Amino acid sequence: MTAYEQKHTLLHVDNLSVVYDGKTIIKNISFEEKDTVVPGREQGQIIAFLGRSGRGKSTLFRTLTGLEAPTTGRVLIPDYSKTVHDGQQPAKMVEEGDVGFVNQKYTLFRHKTVEQALAFALRRSPLSATEKAEKINQYLADWGLEKVKMQYPNELSGGQRQRTAILEQLLNSGHYMVLDEPFSGLDIGNIDNVRKAFQLINRSSELSTVIFSTHDIELAVELADSIYIIGYPRENGSPGTSGTIIRHFDLKKMGLAWSEKLNSDHYDCIKEIRDIMLSS
Amino acid sequence: MKPATWFKPFETIDRGSRITILTIWIVMVGGFWVLASTGSKHLFPTPGQVCEGFISLFNEGLVVHIASSLALCFKATFFSLLISLLIAYASPLPFLKPLAVAMSRIRYLPLTGITFYLAILVSDARTMQVSVLMIFMSLYFITSLLAMLKDIPVEEIDHARSLKCSRWEVLWEVVIKGRIDYVIDMLRQNLAITWMMLVTVESILVAAGGLGVLIKNSDKFMNHGRIVALQLVILAVGLLLDAGLNALRKGFFRYSTF
Repeated sequence: MTAYEQKHTLLHVDNLSVVYDGKTIIKNISFEEKDTVVPGREQGQIIAFLGRSGRGKSTLFRTLTGLEAPTTGRVLIPDYSKTVHDGQQPAKMVEEGDVGFVNQKYTLFRHKTVEQALAFALRRSPLSATEKAEKINQYLADWGLEKVKMQYPNELSGGQRQRTAILEQLLNSGHYMVLDEPFSGLDIGNIDNVRKAFQLINRSSELSTVIFSTHDIELAVELADSIYIIGYPRENGSPGTSGTIIRHFDLKKMGLAWSEKLNSDHYDCIKEIRDIMLSS
Repeated sequence: MKPATWFKPFETIDRGSRITILTIWIVMVGGFWVLASTGSKHLFPTPGQVCEGFISLFNEGLVVHIASSLALCFKATFFSLLISLLIAYASPLPFLKPLAVAMSRIRYLPLTGITFYLAILVSDARTMQVSVLMIFMSLYFITSLLAMLKDIPVEEIDHARSLKCSRWEVLWEVVIKGRIDYVIDMLRQNLAITWMMLVTVESILVAAGGLGVLIKNSDKFMNHGRIVALQLVILAVGLLLDAGLNALRKGFFRYSTF
């Protein structure tokens, strides 16, 4: 089991509910994720959300990214623009743009080349024009996009498009990234591309926090260090109609996180998750 | 080349077959024209009469008339584009949306109703021509633009918002800048309506000339050769405008692949 230490809170979700036209989509969602430090290596956090279709994962993600205002509750992230007070990093309510959001279609501006898209993502950065250009060139090289920097989204391959969409959000939002079903409909090569992108983000800073949803339980167990299951809780013996967190698997505590290969304990966890999902 | 496959729905045919089919159609239309223009009670003028009509039109200053029609068309299109874009781009504002929707619905109003009020408001005939074309083009243009706006996926709006774009920036980046090529394509489609109305509108002011005036005069003297020659000129200019706008869209916007 890898030794680790947990520091300050990176994401605090408190009693979140979203109601559309009188229908409660998600309710009472609360969780907290902390900065996990593994001695000797820089790595961030990868959090997976699993759940059957229609349980409110996308609504939760829109709320986490500030694209949707919650009906009740709040989403808090550290406010790094303020100085630490009493040993605590002041927090702020999440706003549009604080958390990067990549949807399963890997949407990009159709009228911007890869380079223009990345420059747009950095437009509010306090860096000078030269520094921005250097940063973009560095990322283009690291992410294998140098040769296609003048291409428009319709001229990119699926993998290049994915990397551009992720990179664009990474440059804009900094440490947080929410990906809604990033593996949906991808072939084995592109799944590997996204997996590599996760590793690149994860190793870029210990504050990097990737949150993603998937229907692939094995992939979630392989990549994540924390897994939340969203489903309909049983109410008076029958399933409810609003999504909420019905179980949390802290793979770090369970000794299952950051493994090179999946072992029998991982497969037991996968089976348990599958059973929980089927009954919710 | 298998001619049997030409009559099978959704069948993919090779280039040779496509050229053959096109040639057959051209020959059939030409043959029909020759047949329909022979005999004492012929329906169409003969190709020779059309050719003569074209020569006489050319000698009477056809090019100047085409230029007059194009000037009228471009003037009306410019104002129509300006008004339509303003109204359509303002439609994402909830307060202004009813205005855009109402403008789109007005296209069902009859032409005479609108021209009646225009005649009261406008005294100059040329302004009247431009106004009629501008109003009618705008109504259809707004309808197309509203449909374009409605078709923008919510993911594109969310994508811009997630990049810290203000709502005005979303409008600028996703709708205005991101859809210029669509606007050109809509302009291309709507220009056909303006071009089609040209004959009617140009008859308002005969002194200004134009293809509409030429066709009206030819019609008066039952000169069928000239009428068909003019129809073909109007069609050719219209198709040239269409092709020009299409080339402009594809040339300037590499990402515009529809």
